[in-house]
Amino acid sequence: MRQYLTQVAAIVWKDLATELKTRELFSAMFVFSVLVILIFIFSINLSIVKATEVGPGVLWVAFLFAGTLGLNRSFMLEKENGCLQGLILTPADRTTIYFGKFISNLTFLLIMEAFILPLFMVFFNVDILPHLGPLLVVILLGTVGFCALGTLLSSLASNLKTREVMLPILLYPLMVPVIIGSVRMTGQVLEGVALSSMMNWVGLTLCFDVIFIGVSIMTIDHILEE
Amino acid sequence: MDHLGYLFAANVFVWGGVLFYLFTLRKRSQALEKDLAMLKQILDKGPAK
Amino acid sequence: MNEETTQEGEGGPVLLWITALALLAAMVAIFIYVPTEKTEGPVQRIMYFHIPSAWVSFLAFFVVFLSSILFLWKKEREWDIYAQASAEVGVLFCTLVLITGPIWARPIWGAWWVWDARLTLTLVLWLIYIAYLMLRAQTDAGSMRARYAAVLGIAGFLDIPLIHFSVLWWRAFHPLPKVITTEGLGKGMDPAMLATLFISLGAFTFLYFLMMGQRVRQEKIRDDIDRLKKDVLDSD
Repeated sequence: MRQYLTQVAAIVWKDLATELKTRELFSAMFVFSVLVILIFIFSINLSIVKATEVGPGVLWVAFLFAGTLGLNRSFMLEKENGCLQGLILTPADRTTIYFGKFISNLTFLLIMEAFILPLFMVFFNVDILPHLGPLLVVILLGTVGFCALGTLLSSLASNLKTREVMLPILLYPLMVPVIIGSVRMTGQVLEGVALSSMMNWVGLTLCFDVIFIGVSIMTIDHILEE
Repeated sequence: MDHLGYLFAANVFVWGGVLFYLFTLRKRSQALEKDLAMLKQILDKGPAK
Repeated sequence: MNEETTQEGEGGPVLLWITALALLAAMVAIFIYVPTEKTEGPVQRIMYFHIPSAWVSFLAFFVVFLSSILFLWKKEREWDIYAQASAEVGVLFCTLVLITGPIWARPIWGAWWVWDARLTLTLVLWLIYIAYLMLRAQTDAGSMRARYAAVLGIAGFLDIPLIHFSVLWWRAFHPLPKVITTEGLGKGMDPAMLATLFISLGAFTFLYFLMMGQRVRQEKIRDDIDRLKKDVLDSD
Protein backbone atom coordinates (compact mmCIF):
# COMPACT_ATOMS: atom_id res chain seq x y z
CA MET A 1 0.00 0.00 0.00
CA ARG A 2 2.76 2.33 1.01
CA GLN A 3 4.60 1.61 -2.22
CA TYR A 4 1.42 2.29 -4.20
CA LEU A 5 0.97 5.71 -2.65
CA THR A 6 4.63 6.51 -3.19
CA GLN A 7 4.31 5.75 -6.90
CA VAL A 8 1.21 7.91 -7.23
CA ALA A 9 2.89 10.71 -5.33
CA ALA A 10 5.93 10.47 -7.55
CA ILE A 11 3.85 10.99 -10.67
CA VAL A 12 1.95 13.89 -9.13
CA TRP A 13 5.16 15.48 -7.93
CA LYS A 14 6.77 15.14 -11.35
CA ASP A 15 3.88 16.96 -12.98
CA LEU A 16 3.72 19.67 -10.36
CA ALA A 17 7.47 20.26 -10.43
CA THR A 18 7.51 20.50 -14.21
CA GLU A 19 4.67 22.95 -14.13
CA LEU A 20 6.22 25.06 -11.37
CA LYS A 21 9.30 25.51 -13.48
CA THR A 22 7.63 26.53 -16.71
CA ARG A 23 4.14 27.60 -15.67
CA GLU A 24 3.11 27.42 -19.31
CA LEU A 25 0.16 25.15 -18.73
CA PHE A 26 -1.30 27.19 -15.93
CA SER A 27 -1.00 30.52 -17.67
CA ALA A 28 -2.49 29.08 -20.86
CA MET A 29 -5.47 27.68 -18.99
CA PHE A 30 -6.04 30.86 -17.04
CA VAL A 31 -5.83 33.23 -19.99
CA PHE A 32 -8.02 30.95 -22.06
CA SER A 33 -10.74 30.93 -19.37
CA VAL A 34 -10.75 34.69 -19.19
CA LEU A 35 -11.06 34.91 -22.96
CA VAL A 36 -13.93 32.43 -23.01
CA ILE A 37 -15.80 34.40 -20.37
CA LEU A 38 -15.17 37.62 -22.26
CA ILE A 39 -16.41 36.25 -25.56
CA PHE A 40 -19.56 34.90 -23.94
CA ILE A 41 -20.29 38.23 -22.32
CA PHE A 42 -19.95 39.91 -25.70
CA SER A 43 -22.17 37.39 -27.40
CA ILE A 44 -24.98 37.61 -24.86
CA ASN A 45 -27.50 40.38 -25.20
CA LEU A 46 -27.29 41.81 -21.70
CA SER A 47 -30.33 44.00 -22.18
CA ILE A 48 -32.50 40.91 -22.39
CA VAL A 49 -30.77 38.50 -20.05
CA LYS A 50 -29.57 39.19 -16.56
CA ALA A 51 -25.88 38.56 -16.10
CA THR A 52 -26.52 36.54 -12.96
CA GLU A 53 -28.73 34.11 -14.87
CA VAL A 54 -26.10 33.15 -17.38
CA GLY A 55 -23.13 33.52 -15.05
CA PRO A 56 -22.99 29.94 -13.78
CA GLY A 57 -23.27 28.58 -17.32
CA VAL A 58 -20.49 30.80 -18.61
CA LEU A 59 -18.32 29.89 -15.65
CA TRP A 60 -18.63 26.17 -16.24
CA VAL A 61 -18.09 26.49 -19.99
CA ALA A 62 -14.86 28.33 -19.19
CA PHE A 63 -13.86 25.57 -16.75
CA LEU A 64 -14.70 22.91 -19.33
CA PHE A 65 -12.70 24.48 -22.16
CA ALA A 66 -9.70 25.33 -20.01
CA GLY A 67 -9.82 21.92 -18.41
CA THR A 68 -9.76 20.29 -21.83
CA LEU A 69 -6.70 22.34 -22.67
CA GLY A 70 -5.05 21.09 -19.52
CA LEU A 71 -5.92 17.45 -20.20
CA ASN A 72 -4.59 17.62 -23.73
CA ARG A 73 -1.31 19.15 -22.70
CA SER A 74 -0.95 16.84 -19.77
CA PHE A 75 -0.70 13.68 -21.81
CA MET A 76 0.91 15.33 -24.80
CA LEU A 77 3.91 16.31 -22.73
CA GLU A 78 4.24 12.70 -21.66
CA LYS A 79 4.25 11.52 -25.25
CA GLU A 80 6.77 14.12 -26.36
CA ASN A 81 9.27 13.19 -23.71
CA GLY A 82 8.62 9.51 -23.97
CA CYS A 83 7.65 9.63 -20.32
CA LEU A 84 4.57 7.52 -20.83
CA GLN A 85 6.61 4.76 -22.41
CA GLY A 86 8.94 4.87 -19.47
CA LEU A 87 6.11 4.73 -16.99
CA ILE A 88 4.47 1.81 -18.78
CA LEU A 89 7.68 -0.15 -18.78
CA THR A 90 7.93 0.08 -15.02
CA PRO A 91 6.32 -2.78 -13.11
CA ALA A 92 4.01 -0.23 -11.50
CA ASP A 93 0.30 -0.98 -11.32
CA ARG A 94 -1.32 0.94 -14.16
CA THR A 95 -3.81 2.52 -11.80
CA THR A 96 -0.96 4.44 -10.17
CA ILE A 97 -0.45 6.19 -13.48
CA TYR A 98 -4.15 6.93 -13.66
CA PHE A 99 -4.40 8.29 -10.13
CA GLY A 100 -1.17 10.22 -10.51
CA LYS A 101 -2.41 11.98 -13.65
CA PHE A 102 -5.88 12.35 -12.17
CA ILE A 103 -4.59 14.12 -9.07
CA SER A 104 -2.24 16.39 -10.97
CA ASN A 105 -4.96 17.30 -13.50
CA LEU A 106 -7.35 17.95 -10.62
CA THR A 107 -4.83 20.10 -8.81
CA PHE A 108 -4.10 22.29 -11.82
CA LEU A 109 -7.75 22.74 -12.64
CA LEU A 110 -8.76 23.52 -9.05
CA ILE A 111 -6.00 26.10 -8.71
CA MET A 112 -7.03 27.73 -11.97
CA GLU A 113 -10.67 27.76 -10.86
CA ALA A 114 -9.63 29.45 -7.62
CA PHE A 115 -8.08 32.25 -9.63
CA ILE A 116 -11.11 32.53 -11.92
CA LEU A 117 -13.64 32.85 -9.12
CA PRO A 118 -12.68 36.39 -8.07
CA LEU A 119 -12.87 37.44 -11.72
CA PHE A 120 -16.29 35.84 -11.93
CA MET A 121 -17.34 37.78 -8.87
CA VAL A 122 -16.26 41.02 -10.47
CA PHE A 123 -17.53 40.49 -14.02
CA PHE A 124 -20.93 39.15 -13.03
CA ASN A 125 -21.45 41.21 -9.90
CA VAL A 126 -22.06 38.17 -7.77
CA ASP A 127 -21.20 38.08 -4.13
CA ILE A 128 -19.59 34.70 -3.64
CA LEU A 129 -18.40 35.00 -0.06
CA PRO A 130 -21.64 34.29 1.82
CA HIS A 131 -22.08 31.10 -0.21
CA LEU A 132 -18.44 30.09 -0.40
CA GLY A 133 -18.71 26.75 1.38
CA PRO A 134 -21.45 25.15 -0.71
CA LEU A 135 -20.01 26.72 -3.86
CA LEU A 136 -16.65 25.09 -3.27
CA VAL A 137 -18.34 21.74 -2.72
CA VAL A 138 -20.23 22.05 -6.00
CA ILE A 139 -17.11 23.08 -7.89
CA LEU A 140 -15.13 20.24 -6.36
CA LEU A 141 -17.73 17.62 -7.26
CA GLY A 142 -17.95 18.79 -10.85
CA THR A 143 -14.21 19.14 -11.33
CA VAL A 144 -13.56 15.68 -9.89
CA GLY A 145 -16.04 14.23 -12.39
CA PHE A 146 -14.41 16.08 -15.24
CA CYS A 147 -10.91 14.96 -14.27
CA ALA A 148 -11.96 11.38 -13.59
CA LEU A 149 -13.42 10.85 -17.05
CA GLY A 150 -11.09 13.31 -18.75
CA THR A 151 -7.93 11.60 -17.54
CA LEU A 152 -9.18 8.24 -18.83
CA LEU A 153 -10.19 9.61 -22.22
CA SER A 154 -7.10 11.76 -22.70
CA SER A 155 -4.86 8.77 -22.06
CA LEU A 156 -6.84 7.10 -24.84
CA ALA A 157 -6.91 10.09 -27.17
CA SER A 158 -3.21 10.84 -26.78
CA ASN A 159 -2.50 7.81 -28.95
CA LEU A 160 -4.59 9.08 -31.83
CA LYS A 161 -3.34 11.26 -34.64
CA THR A 162 -6.27 13.62 -34.18
CA ARG A 163 -5.91 13.72 -30.41
CA GLU A 164 -6.74 17.39 -29.81
CA VAL A 165 -9.94 17.26 -31.78
CA MET A 166 -11.06 13.83 -30.58
CA LEU A 167 -10.80 14.54 -26.88
CA PRO A 168 -13.69 17.05 -26.80
CA ILE A 169 -15.72 14.90 -29.20
CA LEU A 170 -15.35 11.91 -26.92
CA LEU A 171 -15.55 13.74 -23.61
CA TYR A 172 -18.25 16.38 -23.92
CA PRO A 173 -21.30 14.19 -24.64
CA LEU A 174 -20.38 12.00 -21.68
CA MET A 175 -19.96 15.06 -19.49
CA VAL A 176 -23.56 16.22 -20.00
CA PRO A 177 -24.83 15.11 -16.55
CA VAL A 178 -22.02 16.96 -14.79
CA ILE A 179 -22.41 20.08 -16.92
CA ILE A 180 -26.16 20.29 -16.39
CA GLY A 181 -25.85 19.44 -12.70
CA SER A 182 -22.97 21.77 -11.90
CA VAL A 183 -24.52 24.73 -13.65
CA ARG A 184 -27.87 24.10 -11.97
CA MET A 185 -26.28 23.69 -8.53
CA THR A 186 -24.02 26.73 -8.93
CA GLY A 187 -26.96 28.89 -9.89
CA GLN A 188 -29.01 27.76 -6.93
CA VAL A 189 -26.14 28.00 -4.46
CA LEU A 190 -25.50 31.58 -5.48
CA GLU A 191 -29.14 32.36 -4.79
CA GLY A 192 -28.70 31.08 -1.29
CA VAL A 193 -30.38 27.69 -1.64
CA ALA A 194 -28.94 25.18 0.80
CA LEU A 195 -27.17 22.10 -0.50
CA SER A 196 -29.58 19.91 1.38
CA SER A 197 -32.44 20.96 -0.92
CA MET A 198 -30.60 19.92 -4.06
CA MET A 199 -29.47 16.53 -2.89
CA ASN A 200 -30.72 14.93 -6.09
CA TRP A 201 -28.14 16.89 -8.10
CA VAL A 202 -25.45 16.34 -5.49
CA GLY A 203 -26.22 12.64 -5.51
CA LEU A 204 -26.18 12.46 -9.28
CA THR A 205 -22.81 14.20 -9.58
CA LEU A 206 -21.35 12.08 -6.80
CA CYS A 207 -22.65 9.00 -8.59
CA PHE A 208 -20.98 10.16 -11.78
CA ASP A 209 -17.68 10.69 -9.97
CA VAL A 210 -17.75 7.26 -8.38
CA ILE A 211 -18.86 5.42 -11.51
CA PHE A 212 -16.22 6.91 -13.73
CA ILE A 213 -13.37 6.61 -11.29
CA GLY A 214 -14.45 2.99 -11.05
CA VAL A 215 -14.62 2.51 -14.82
CA SER A 216 -11.19 4.12 -15.15
CA ILE A 217 -9.64 1.84 -12.57
CA MET A 218 -11.07 -1.19 -14.29
CA THR A 219 -10.17 -0.26 -17.86
CA ILE A 220 -6.94 1.73 -17.63
CA ASP A 221 -4.94 -1.47 -18.00
CA HIS A 222 -6.42 -2.03 -21.42
CA ILE A 223 -5.51 1.46 -22.55
CA LEU A 224 -1.98 1.62 -21.24
CA GLU A 225 -1.00 -1.71 -22.70
CA GLU A 226 2.19 -2.18 -24.54
CA MET B 1 -56.58 14.43 -43.81
CA ASP B 2 -54.12 17.15 -42.97
CA HIS B 3 -50.35 16.89 -42.54
CA LEU B 4 -50.20 13.74 -44.68
CA GLY B 5 -47.08 15.20 -46.23
CA TYR B 6 -45.32 14.78 -42.90
CA LEU B 7 -46.38 11.17 -42.58
CA PHE B 8 -45.15 10.52 -46.09
CA ALA B 9 -41.84 12.23 -45.38
CA ALA B 10 -41.32 10.15 -42.25
CA ASN B 11 -41.91 6.97 -44.21
CA VAL B 12 -39.51 8.03 -46.93
CA PHE B 13 -36.76 8.68 -44.41
CA VAL B 14 -37.30 5.48 -42.44
CA TRP B 15 -37.54 3.12 -45.40
CA GLY B 16 -34.98 5.06 -47.37
CA GLY B 17 -32.51 4.87 -44.52
CA VAL B 18 -33.06 1.18 -43.85
CA LEU B 19 -32.89 0.15 -47.48
CA PHE B 20 -29.88 2.36 -48.14
CA TYR B 21 -27.96 0.73 -45.33
CA LEU B 22 -28.95 -2.78 -46.34
CA PHE B 23 -28.05 -2.20 -49.99
CA THR B 24 -24.74 -0.57 -49.12
CA LEU B 25 -23.92 -3.58 -46.98
CA ARG B 26 -24.86 -5.96 -49.76
CA LYS B 27 -22.78 -4.13 -52.36
CA ARG B 28 -19.78 -4.03 -50.09
CA SER B 29 -20.15 -7.69 -49.19
CA GLN B 30 -20.32 -8.68 -52.85
CA ALA B 31 -17.15 -6.73 -53.62
CA LEU B 32 -15.41 -8.31 -50.65
CA GLU B 33 -16.45 -11.80 -51.67
CA LYS B 34 -14.98 -11.22 -55.10
CA ASP B 35 -11.71 -10.17 -53.51
CA LEU B 36 -11.79 -13.24 -51.31
CA ALA B 37 -12.34 -15.57 -54.25
CA MET B 38 -9.52 -13.90 -56.15
CA LEU B 39 -7.13 -14.24 -53.25
CA LYS B 40 -8.02 -17.89 -52.84
CA GLN B 41 -7.23 -18.46 -56.51
CA ILE B 42 -3.84 -16.85 -56.12
CA LEU B 43 -3.10 -19.03 -53.14
CA ASP B 44 -4.18 -22.21 -54.93
CA LYS B 45 -1.89 -21.48 -57.84
CA GLY B 46 0.52 -20.60 -55.06
CA PRO B 47 4.09 -21.69 -54.54
CA ALA B 48 4.17 -23.53 -57.88
CA LYS B 49 4.87 -20.24 -59.65
CA MET C 1 -15.49 -23.57 -46.46
CA ASN C 2 -17.91 -22.84 -49.26
CA GLU C 3 -19.58 -19.53 -48.49
CA GLU C 4 -23.28 -18.85 -48.49
CA THR C 5 -24.65 -16.47 -51.10
CA THR C 6 -24.45 -12.77 -50.50
CA GLN C 7 -28.08 -12.38 -49.58
CA GLU C 8 -27.74 -14.47 -46.50
CA GLY C 9 -26.22 -13.11 -43.37
CA GLU C 10 -25.59 -14.88 -40.17
CA GLY C 11 -29.20 -15.94 -39.95
CA GLY C 12 -29.52 -17.44 -43.39
CA PRO C 13 -32.41 -16.73 -45.73
CA VAL C 14 -34.92 -17.51 -42.97
CA LEU C 15 -34.18 -14.30 -41.14
CA LEU C 16 -34.61 -12.27 -44.30
CA TRP C 17 -38.05 -13.70 -44.95
CA ILE C 18 -39.24 -13.46 -41.35
CA THR C 19 -38.12 -9.83 -41.26
CA ALA C 20 -39.84 -9.03 -44.53
CA LEU C 21 -43.05 -10.63 -43.27
CA ALA C 22 -42.86 -8.85 -39.94
CA LEU C 23 -42.33 -5.52 -41.66
CA LEU C 24 -45.28 -6.21 -43.92
CA ALA C 25 -47.43 -7.04 -40.90
CA ALA C 26 -46.28 -3.86 -39.22
CA MET C 27 -47.15 -1.73 -42.24
CA VAL C 28 -50.61 -3.28 -42.38
CA ALA C 29 -51.09 -2.63 -38.69
CA ILE C 30 -49.80 0.92 -38.88
CA PHE C 31 -51.68 2.07 -41.95
CA ILE C 32 -54.79 -0.10 -42.13
CA TYR C 33 -55.56 -1.74 -38.80
CA VAL C 34 -54.99 0.94 -36.21
CA PRO C 35 -57.65 3.65 -35.96
CA THR C 36 -56.72 7.27 -36.50
CA GLU C 37 -55.95 9.16 -33.34
CA LYS C 38 -58.51 11.80 -32.42
CA THR C 39 -56.51 14.88 -31.58
CA GLU C 40 -53.45 14.47 -33.78
CA GLY C 41 -54.84 12.84 -36.89
CA PRO C 42 -53.00 10.55 -39.30
CA VAL C 43 -49.61 12.16 -38.56
CA GLN C 44 -49.71 10.42 -35.21
CA ARG C 45 -48.87 7.17 -37.01
CA ILE C 46 -45.29 8.35 -37.14
CA MET C 47 -45.18 7.25 -33.51
CA TYR C 48 -45.13 3.63 -34.67
CA PHE C 49 -41.82 4.30 -36.38
CA HIS C 50 -40.44 6.73 -33.84
CA ILE C 51 -40.82 4.81 -30.59
CA PRO C 52 -39.72 1.35 -31.82
CA SER C 53 -36.64 2.95 -33.43
CA ALA C 54 -35.76 4.40 -30.04
CA TRP C 55 -36.17 1.06 -28.29
CA VAL C 56 -34.10 -0.76 -30.92
CA SER C 57 -31.29 1.78 -30.77
CA PHE C 58 -31.24 1.33 -27.01
CA LEU C 59 -31.06 -2.43 -27.48
CA ALA C 60 -28.21 -1.92 -29.95
CA PHE C 61 -26.22 0.20 -27.52
CA PHE C 62 -26.79 -2.34 -24.79
CA VAL C 63 -25.33 -4.99 -27.09
CA VAL C 64 -22.34 -2.71 -27.68
CA PHE C 65 -21.94 -2.50 -23.90
CA LEU C 66 -22.08 -6.26 -23.38
CA SER C 67 -19.81 -7.00 -26.34
CA SER C 68 -17.30 -4.43 -25.13
CA ILE C 69 -17.15 -6.03 -21.70
CA LEU C 70 -16.87 -9.49 -23.20
CA PHE C 71 -14.12 -8.36 -25.52
CA LEU C 72 -12.03 -6.86 -22.74
CA TRP C 73 -12.57 -10.03 -20.73
CA LYS C 74 -12.02 -12.69 -23.38
CA LYS C 75 -9.98 -10.74 -25.94
CA GLU C 76 -11.74 -12.51 -28.78
CA ARG C 77 -12.18 -10.63 -32.07
CA GLU C 78 -15.75 -11.97 -32.35
CA TRP C 79 -16.95 -9.62 -29.60
CA ASP C 80 -15.22 -6.65 -31.17
CA ILE C 81 -17.07 -7.34 -34.41
CA TYR C 82 -20.42 -7.46 -32.59
CA ALA C 83 -19.66 -4.17 -30.86
CA GLN C 84 -18.78 -2.45 -34.11
CA ALA C 85 -21.80 -3.78 -35.99
CA SER C 86 -24.23 -3.02 -33.20
CA ALA C 87 -22.91 0.51 -32.83
CA GLU C 88 -23.42 1.17 -36.53
CA VAL C 89 -26.95 -0.20 -36.58
CA GLY C 90 -27.68 1.60 -33.32
CA VAL C 91 -26.57 4.92 -34.77
CA LEU C 92 -28.76 4.27 -37.80
CA PHE C 93 -31.87 3.74 -35.67
CA CYS C 94 -30.91 6.63 -33.42
CA THR C 95 -30.72 8.86 -36.50
CA LEU C 96 -34.19 7.69 -37.49
CA VAL C 97 -35.50 8.70 -34.06
CA LEU C 98 -33.94 12.14 -34.49
CA ILE C 99 -35.45 12.50 -37.96
CA THR C 100 -38.96 11.20 -37.24
CA GLY C 101 -39.08 13.23 -34.02
CA PRO C 102 -39.04 16.67 -35.62
CA ILE C 103 -41.22 15.47 -38.53
CA TRP C 104 -43.81 14.42 -35.96
CA ALA C 105 -43.32 17.44 -33.73
CA ARG C 106 -43.67 20.10 -36.38
CA PRO C 107 -47.34 19.60 -37.29
CA ILE C 108 -48.34 18.69 -33.74
CA TRP C 109 -46.43 21.15 -31.60
CA GLY C 110 -45.62 23.78 -34.24
CA ALA C 111 -41.92 23.53 -33.55
CA TRP C 112 -39.28 21.40 -35.23
CA TRP C 113 -37.43 20.72 -32.04
CA VAL C 114 -38.41 20.73 -28.38
CA TRP C 115 -35.93 20.09 -25.63
CA ASP C 116 -37.97 17.38 -24.03
CA ALA C 117 -36.19 14.78 -21.95
CA ARG C 118 -36.41 11.84 -24.35
CA LEU C 119 -35.41 13.69 -27.50
CA THR C 120 -32.52 15.41 -25.78
CA LEU C 121 -31.29 12.11 -24.36
CA THR C 122 -31.46 10.63 -27.85
CA LEU C 123 -29.41 13.51 -29.23
CA VAL C 124 -26.71 13.06 -26.61
CA LEU C 125 -26.68 9.30 -27.23
CA TRP C 126 -26.29 9.91 -30.93
CA LEU C 127 -23.28 12.12 -30.24
CA ILE C 128 -21.71 9.54 -27.95
CA TYR C 129 -21.96 6.71 -30.45
CA ILE C 130 -20.99 8.84 -33.41
CA ALA C 131 -17.85 9.63 -31.43
CA TYR C 132 -17.46 5.87 -30.92
CA LEU C 133 -17.64 5.28 -34.67
CA MET C 134 -15.25 8.16 -35.32
CA LEU C 135 -12.79 6.66 -32.89
CA ARG C 136 -12.95 3.33 -34.72
CA ALA C 137 -12.60 5.01 -38.10
CA GLN C 138 -9.50 6.91 -37.05
CA THR C 139 -7.54 4.00 -35.67
CA ASP C 140 -6.04 1.19 -37.68
CA ALA C 141 -7.49 -2.26 -37.28
CA GLY C 142 -5.92 -4.15 -34.47
CA SER C 143 -5.81 -4.62 -30.76
CA MET C 144 -5.60 -0.90 -29.95
CA ARG C 145 -8.72 0.01 -31.88
CA ALA C 146 -10.68 -2.79 -30.29
CA ARG C 147 -9.56 -2.02 -26.75
CA TYR C 148 -10.15 1.73 -27.02
CA ALA C 149 -13.55 1.26 -28.59
CA ALA C 150 -14.50 -1.22 -25.88
CA VAL C 151 -13.63 1.25 -23.12
CA LEU C 152 -15.75 3.89 -24.82
CA GLY C 153 -18.58 1.42 -25.36
CA ILE C 154 -18.65 0.68 -21.64
CA ALA C 155 -18.34 4.28 -20.49
CA GLY C 156 -21.00 5.48 -22.90
CA PHE C 157 -23.64 3.02 -21.79
CA LEU C 158 -23.02 3.52 -18.08
CA ASP C 159 -23.55 7.23 -18.59
CA ILE C 160 -27.06 6.75 -19.98
CA PRO C 161 -29.02 6.69 -16.69
CA LEU C 162 -27.05 9.72 -15.49
CA ILE C 163 -27.81 11.64 -18.67
CA HIS C 164 -31.45 10.60 -18.46
CA PHE C 165 -31.92 11.98 -14.97
CA SER C 166 -29.90 15.13 -15.50
CA VAL C 167 -31.88 15.99 -18.64
CA LEU C 168 -35.17 15.11 -16.96
CA TRP C 169 -34.55 17.37 -13.97
CA TRP C 170 -33.16 20.06 -16.25
CA ARG C 171 -36.42 20.02 -18.12
CA ALA C 172 -38.27 21.01 -14.98
CA PHE C 173 -37.11 24.54 -15.68
CA HIS C 174 -38.25 24.59 -19.31
CA PRO C 175 -41.85 23.39 -19.50
CA LEU C 176 -43.05 21.94 -22.76
CA PRO C 177 -45.31 23.97 -25.01
CA LYS C 178 -48.11 21.44 -24.81
CA VAL C 179 -49.26 18.83 -22.33
CA ILE C 180 -49.11 15.94 -24.77
CA THR C 181 -45.73 14.28 -24.67
CA THR C 182 -44.49 10.94 -25.89
CA GLU C 183 -44.41 9.86 -22.27
CA GLY C 184 -48.08 10.63 -21.75
CA LEU C 185 -49.07 8.35 -24.59
CA GLY C 186 -48.33 5.19 -22.67
CA LYS C 187 -51.14 5.71 -20.23
CA GLY C 188 -54.59 4.67 -21.26
CA MET C 189 -53.56 3.91 -24.82
CA ASP C 190 -56.12 2.22 -26.94
CA PRO C 191 -55.34 -1.54 -27.03
CA ALA C 192 -55.19 -1.50 -30.84
CA MET C 193 -52.55 1.20 -30.64
CA LEU C 194 -50.59 -0.74 -28.09
CA ALA C 195 -50.77 -3.87 -30.23
CA THR C 196 -49.60 -1.98 -33.31
CA LEU C 197 -46.76 -0.52 -31.32
CA PHE C 198 -45.62 -3.98 -30.31
CA ILE C 199 -45.97 -5.39 -33.82
CA SER C 200 -43.86 -2.54 -35.12
CA LEU C 201 -41.35 -3.10 -32.33
CA GLY C 202 -41.10 -6.77 -33.25
CA ALA C 203 -40.57 -5.96 -36.91
CA PHE C 204 -37.88 -3.41 -36.13
CA THR C 205 -36.15 -5.85 -33.81
CA PHE C 206 -36.01 -8.44 -36.58
CA LEU C 207 -34.63 -5.71 -38.81
CA TYR C 208 -31.94 -5.08 -36.22
CA PHE C 209 -30.91 -8.74 -36.21
CA LEU C 210 -30.97 -8.86 -40.00
CA MET C 211 -28.70 -5.83 -40.26
CA MET C 212 -26.44 -7.16 -37.54
CA GLY C 213 -26.14 -10.45 -39.35
CA GLN C 214 -25.19 -8.76 -42.62
CA ARG C 215 -22.72 -6.40 -41.01
CA VAL C 216 -21.05 -9.06 -38.88
CA ARG C 217 -20.69 -11.30 -41.90
CA GLN C 218 -19.14 -8.51 -43.91
CA GLU C 219 -16.60 -7.89 -41.19
CA LYS C 220 -15.73 -11.57 -40.98
CA ILE C 221 -15.13 -11.68 -44.73
CA ARG C 222 -12.87 -8.69 -44.32
CA ASP C 223 -10.94 -10.53 -41.64
CA ASP C 224 -10.62 -13.57 -43.93
CA ILE C 225 -9.27 -11.36 -46.69
CA ASP C 226 -6.71 -9.79 -44.38
CA ARG C 227 -5.61 -13.19 -43.22
CA LEU C 228 -5.31 -14.49 -46.77
CA LYS C 229 -3.41 -11.39 -47.84
CA LYS C 230 -0.87 -12.17 -45.18
CA ASP C 231 -0.67 -15.76 -46.39
CA VAL C 232 -0.06 -14.59 -49.95
CA LEU C 233 2.72 -12.33 -48.78
CA ASP C 234 4.23 -15.08 -46.69
CA SER C 235 4.17 -17.65 -49.47
CA ASP C 236 6.28 -15.46 -51.74
